[in-house]
Amino acid sequence: MTLQQLIIQLLSGISVGMVIFLIAVGLSLIFGTLRILNLAHGSLYMLGAFLCFWLSSTLSHLSGAFWWTLILAPLAVALFGGLLEAFLLRRIYTREMLDQFLFTFALILIIGDLCKLAWGVEYHMVSTPWPLNGPITIMGMGFPLYNVFLIGCGPLVFVGLWTFIHYTGLGRIIRAVTYNRDMANALGVNVPLVYTAVFMLGCWLAGLGGALVAPMSAVMLGMDMVVLIDCFIIVVIGGLGSMPGAFLGSLILGLVNAFGILVAPRLAIAFGFILMIIVLVIRPWGLMGKPE
Amino acid sequence: MIIGIISALVLLGVLPAFIGPGWISLINEMFIIALAACALNLILGYCGMVSFGPAGLYAVGAYTTALLLVNTKIPFAVTLMAGPLMAGIAAIIVGWFCVRLTHVYFSLLTLAFSQIIHTIIFEWYGFTRGDDGIVNIPVPKFLASITHYYYFSLVIVCVCLLLLRMIINSPFGKTLQAIRENPNRTESIGINVRRYQLSAFVLSGFFLGVAGTLFCCFNKNVFPNYAHWMKSTEMLVVCLLGGVYYFLGPVVGSIVYMFLDKIITSYTQYWPLVLGLVILALLLFLRGGIAGFIVKGVELARPRSKS
Repeated sequence: MTLQQLIIQLLSGISVGMVIFLIAVGLSLIFGTLRILNLAHGSLYMLGAFLCFWLSSTLSHLSGAFWWTLILAPLAVALFGGLLEAFLLRRIYTREMLDQFLFTFALILIIGDLCKLAWGVEYHMVSTPWPLNGPITIMGMGFPLYNVFLIGCGPLVFVGLWTFIHYTGLGRIIRAVTYNRDMANALGVNVPLVYTAVFMLGCWLAGLGGALVAPMSAVMLGMDMVVLIDCFIIVVIGGLGSMPGAFLGSLILGLVNAFGILVAPRLAIAFGFILMIIVLVIRPWGLMGKPE
Repeated sequence: MIIGIISALVLLGVLPAFIGPGWISLINEMFIIALAACALNLILGYCGMVSFGPAGLYAVGAYTTALLLVNTKIPFAVTLMAGPLMAGIAAIIVGWFCVRLTHVYFSLLTLAFSQIIHTIIFEWYGFTRGDDGIVNIPVPKFLASITHYYYFSLVIVCVCLLLLRMIINSPFGKTLQAIRENPNRTESIGINVRRYQLSAFVLSGFFLGVAGTLFCCFNKNVFPNYAHWMKSTEMLVVCLLGGVYYFLGPVVGSIVYMFLDKIITSYTQYWPLVLGLVILALLLFLRGGIAGFIVKGVELARPRSKS
């Protein structure tokens, strides 16, 4: 195991982590503000990936089709999420956790089967878009340029979200609703609208994650479950409701997974769960969360 | 109520004489799921602890019995007891960590432990045969026929349900319900809430182990997906379908779920879609599950005296 291979493995882990960050941060935001754990988040990610595949094959006659897809697919998922929130999710905000869990689980089943209905059970592939296909050499070894792009996307989105939440008016309203919903309501904030907006933002992030991951791995049914478990691990480690926590958690999980595969390939899957258990036992609100 | 139960048992007892082996198998599977769901409901409906990990304990029971039957010559009766005991021990370990947390953190921790159990079963090929599962498990001759096994599991399930009923109606059970309603208040009258929750978790794990053992001998195969969180969700859905606040709710849920499963999969490949829609409809319109619906219907239908 040379230094170069180690660095490549590290970068590989981080790039995967950054994609899952996009989905995990959406999950965290939704939990932080709406106080529900949206299990269907993985399915929205899968929907984003399928839409990316569909749009890029439909629009393949346009140059730069992928970039158009990158704009349109997350918007479509956000719109879908908005309708979901307004018509369905609104009814369960006051219900207890089991009901919310099963409700969002039912959405997993429904969205999954809708994808199956629309696009069948085969794997689909999306080709890497033009300026980013091909490898670059890092320290003498090849590394996909697209993965470097993904590593860049993570912090970019994080900085964008942070600026939005902490330096804009709408962000301040969202923070107010997160902190104390009833007070914000009493001060005239349209709380249901804010809830819808935050949910749509979360869905947009999940759709973006799905669209970004499509060129890197196969688009297929079942990708929602895999990413969902990773998201849970990340938001537990980082802290439910905390954006920096989600970023930190994704980095940690990406690195742990990448090195786990090198050190003990058979047990690598378990490392994430072990980390999750350790955090939950020692510091349940996560590394950067606040105790309730 | 007692008359209803006795007549139901009589009906179940004579059923095999009238229906074919396929149906007997189906109803047998239904009992086992009903037992697993009732075991889960002990902590879910009666203690308010939403566990995402019953499948892990269920799989521990199933795999223990499977491994003992395949690898050793230990008498069958002992392996039957070993499954639930191992599940109970696993529940002590898992539960000790989990009951220190509440709400969503409790649920996520149970999920994590269940997935660890799944990973261990899946990856430890040398011991558990991993993804291949353990197949052709030898079951004693007197249980080889479908009808004999039906009666065997019927008896065991009924005994376990009776035990669960006794637990729920005892002072221990009442305390669990008090903990569900208001843990802080219960703590303030001197009850050690953690210890009660851990005991309930272990009992639930024990009965889940019984269900796992029964299913192992029923199916004569065990696979790692018995420990997957999808299986846990299936059990949660069964409890919800029937109604978590009623003792027989999970039994009702299991009947409905099995029938829906078999009927709908014969019509369409989109069973998850239908199940999802059914769950949504239930959550939005039939709160309290089907048992709740029946109970309220009976109450409304009962003639009232003029007051």
